[in-house]
Amino acid sequence: MIKVNGRDAEWEEDLTVEKLLEKNKYTFPKIYVKINDELVPQHEYAIRIIMDEDDIKVIHLMAGG
Amino acid sequence: MMNVKDLKEKHKLLTEYSYELGKVDKGYTNRTLYINLSENKIQAKSVTQMMKDKFIGGKGFGLWYLWNAVTPKTKWNDLENQIVIAGGPICGITQYPGAGKSLICTISPLTGIPIDSNVGGYFGPLLKFSGWDALELQGKAEKDVIIYIDGNKGTVKIEEAPLEAIDGHVLGEQLTEMYADSEEDKRNVAVVTAGTAAENTLIGLLNFTFYDVRRKVARLKQAGRGGIGTVFRDKKIKALVVKYKGVKGDLNNPVDQPMINKTGIKLHKEICKLDEKQNNMRKIGTANIIEVMNQYDLLPTHNFKYGSHPDAYKIASTVFIEKYITQGMADGCWYGCSMACAKAADRFQLKTGPYRGHLVTVDGPEYENAAGLGSNCGIFDPEAILELNFYCDTYAVDTISFGTLTAFVMECYENGIINKKITDGLELNFGNAEAALELLHQMSRGEGFGKIAGQGVHRMKKIFAEEYGADPDFLFDIGMEQKGLEYSEYLSKESLAQQGGYGLTNKGPQHDEAWLIFMDMVNNQIPTFEDKAEALHYFPMFRTWFGLYGLCKLPWNDIAPEDNALTDEPAKIPEHVQNYVDICNGVTGKNIDKHELIRESERVYNFQRVFNIRMGKGLRIHDKTPYRSMGPVTVEEYESRQERYDNQLEELAGYNPAEKLTQEKIALLRRYRENQFGKLTDAVYDRRGWTKEGVPTIEHLKKIGMDLPEVIEVVKQYL
Amino acid sequence: MKYLARKDSLCIKCHQCEEICSKAFFKTDNVEKSCIRITEEIDKVIVACNQCGICIDICPVKAITRDSKGIVRINKKECVGCFMCVGFCPEAAMRQHDDYIEPFKCIACGLCAKQCPTEAIYIEEKAKEQVAAISD
Repeated sequence: MIKVNGRDAEWEEDLTVEKLLEKNKYTFPKIYVKINDELVPQHEYAIRIIMDEDDIKVIHLMAGG
Repeated sequence: MMNVKDLKEKHKLLTEYSYELGKVDKGYTNRTLYINLSENKIQAKSVTQMMKDKFIGGKGFGLWYLWNAVTPKTKWNDLENQIVIAGGPICGITQYPGAGKSLICTISPLTGIPIDSNVGGYFGPLLKFSGWDALELQGKAEKDVIIYIDGNKGTVKIEEAPLEAIDGHVLGEQLTEMYADSEEDKRNVAVVTAGTAAENTLIGLLNFTFYDVRRKVARLKQAGRGGIGTVFRDKKIKALVVKYKGVKGDLNNPVDQPMINKTGIKLHKEICKLDEKQNNMRKIGTANIIEVMNQYDLLPTHNFKYGSHPDAYKIASTVFIEKYITQGMADGCWYGCSMACAKAADRFQLKTGPYRGHLVTVDGPEYENAAGLGSNCGIFDPEAILELNFYCDTYAVDTISFGTLTAFVMECYENGIINKKITDGLELNFGNAEAALELLHQMSRGEGFGKIAGQGVHRMKKIFAEEYGADPDFLFDIGMEQKGLEYSEYLSKESLAQQGGYGLTNKGPQHDEAWLIFMDMVNNQIPTFEDKAEALHYFPMFRTWFGLYGLCKLPWNDIAPEDNALTDEPAKIPEHVQNYVDICNGVTGKNIDKHELIRESERVYNFQRVFNIRMGKGLRIHDKTPYRSMGPVTVEEYESRQERYDNQLEELAGYNPAEKLTQEKIALLRRYRENQFGKLTDAVYDRRGWTKEGVPTIEHLKKIGMDLPEVIEVVKQYL
Repeated sequence: MKYLARKDSLCIKCHQCEEICSKAFFKTDNVEKSCIRITEEIDKVIVACNQCGICIDICPVKAITRDSKGIVRINKKECVGCFMCVGFCPEAAMRQHDDYIEPFKCIACGLCAKQCPTEAIYIEEKAKEQVAAISD
């Protein structure tokens, strides 16, 4: 189990940030990602592996039209 | 088109007023212009220090003048109702993006309470440079008039103008041409018009022009919400024209021009570097989020039943970018807006209506147009959206109200609540673009079912129930309006905070007070009632502030600095908040900080709430929202997202959904969600300093400095 | 069309170009008012307009145009002082000073080139097609 934005989510092996975003259909361009409170640079999304029990935040920065 | 000389020859001067040219000092001319059309009276009023301290400018001035003009009994079409147009002390600076906005206030024909609308175009800044912080319009003319302000000569004229067109795109061109000395002079002329449908509906808007020196057309920006154009035409105003030649970058006479230069250039650089990677505003404007909303199940589809549709790709922003929207233009609705979201489709050939075959420039589509006129009505044809967009603007119909009310009509039609006989033959099924266009043309002509639909969802609910025997409860559930105003185009079902963002507003369900869906539903950053209440305090106050100073909301958070994620409160975009503090102090010489900024808004926000109470529509009962804004109304709606709703029943409400009928589950979920909304309302009122009934307490009004005797007098009756 | 070409490696940072420019343009010896700037950067020492013309399309009032000789010029009378051209210049060569409400820029007059002791800057002609390419 991992946490994504405070909610429980399934963990799987070799889960990268990129895969997690795809799985959740997080396609919005203006987001930032933190794993256990540490900011993950965008260029690491494809290689950064998420470990079991990690606490991930995918923060969408939008406050409306 | 008729020769404008011939049009002008038929003008009959009713009155002329001369004034000393003013000078702007620290953002204020310290003077406002009052015009009474019944009496052909024109006079100047002084701006008092109290007005500047408590109401700042823009929407604050508008609400204050309106309060003094009307009584609790005033209706939108009474003589004493006013239309007030005001920029605000920052309005007219050219260095910071989004600084040319006008704020319009009137008693709305839809809601019966004050409406405020924020619009671009050159009128607000040119009005100020002509010597006026605000323009009050009261009374009614006998015949159609044009009001012309010459800011270089110092004259104001009221002229009967019988021959000019009514529709916005024609009239905007005619008057720009008429009052400009040359092609180069056209950008010094700004026109305000309504359109033909404003006369026959309650959803009329105002078009504000700015002359596009590259396309060589008068572009139109809309003060859309709440039927201001309907009031405008009821006053028999055909147009307002202001002319001022000589705009420079320092006409506001700010105390600290270098500060404004520095802050503006910093944001220009940020937009230059980052916009392409972020929101692509410079290419497509607000329509960049069409596919985003669809992806996150937030794009209203079929009268807000669903949040996505398989055909949404047909109206994705990329389609408009590639096929329709002219690229590489300086598309700002005031000088210095490098965000440049005022997009346009050029040489678009119309297929229907009185301008069929014409090649026109369509201003848009903005996101709300694409979602309201498109997906919400089940229309996934980009050309139909552009055509609807064009006709809404030129006829002066609010695209948001039109989209939402047409979606409502379509659902009623598909449910058999209304039929072909009632709609005079219009087959108003979801997806029928032709019928939607014909409905719009009927509004322009004042004929057929268009006249009924143009009354808005609130009045249609009553008509459908009383005359066609519809179930009023069902209509209440699916009719997406509150306080008489139609919802704007976001699905709030899965975000409790956004249900409040729509429901707990002053003017009605428009997202310009708060848009919290991502923070709440996706990011889960505001999980508790207290968190949500804090957001529903902060963001509405913060966003109110733009309307006090003459600013646009978009450059605040449709671009974010590169290091924004590392800041303490990324959702607020702290660096940009500081930019606003800096340019405010730079123009006015005040010394506010980010806390005082909120306090300035709180005064006006609470004043507006009390104004609503005074007009009989500002209590808790009026903040009740249609159930579709909270959850699934129908079986098909529930079953389309059954897994989501079943899970919520089990995890949040503590019911076992197994073997229950959908109808039962809908009722259980509804009980849960309505209860949540009630708790949210309690928390928000408490945070805002209001009683459980939604009345600002005297203590709170004193604390924030909005304890004017007339304000206290109103709330006293409810405490 | 002509423009001010540069060879950063030859620049000895004597700043004489800045002095002559601000004197010619604004009748004062003030580097902040020079259209050409010598920076402390390693790779891009000399900053001056290459006449690429990106600013022409940025200007909301068409106050920036290219003259018959290819020089990009600002019509100060028309300029509304928004400084978008400053923010969007790819060369950071559109200049601004708080004493003025309009920006200013190099018009390839060549005074600084004549002054330069090492020929690090010089007036060069380029074909029209090359104009856009240089902006990269």
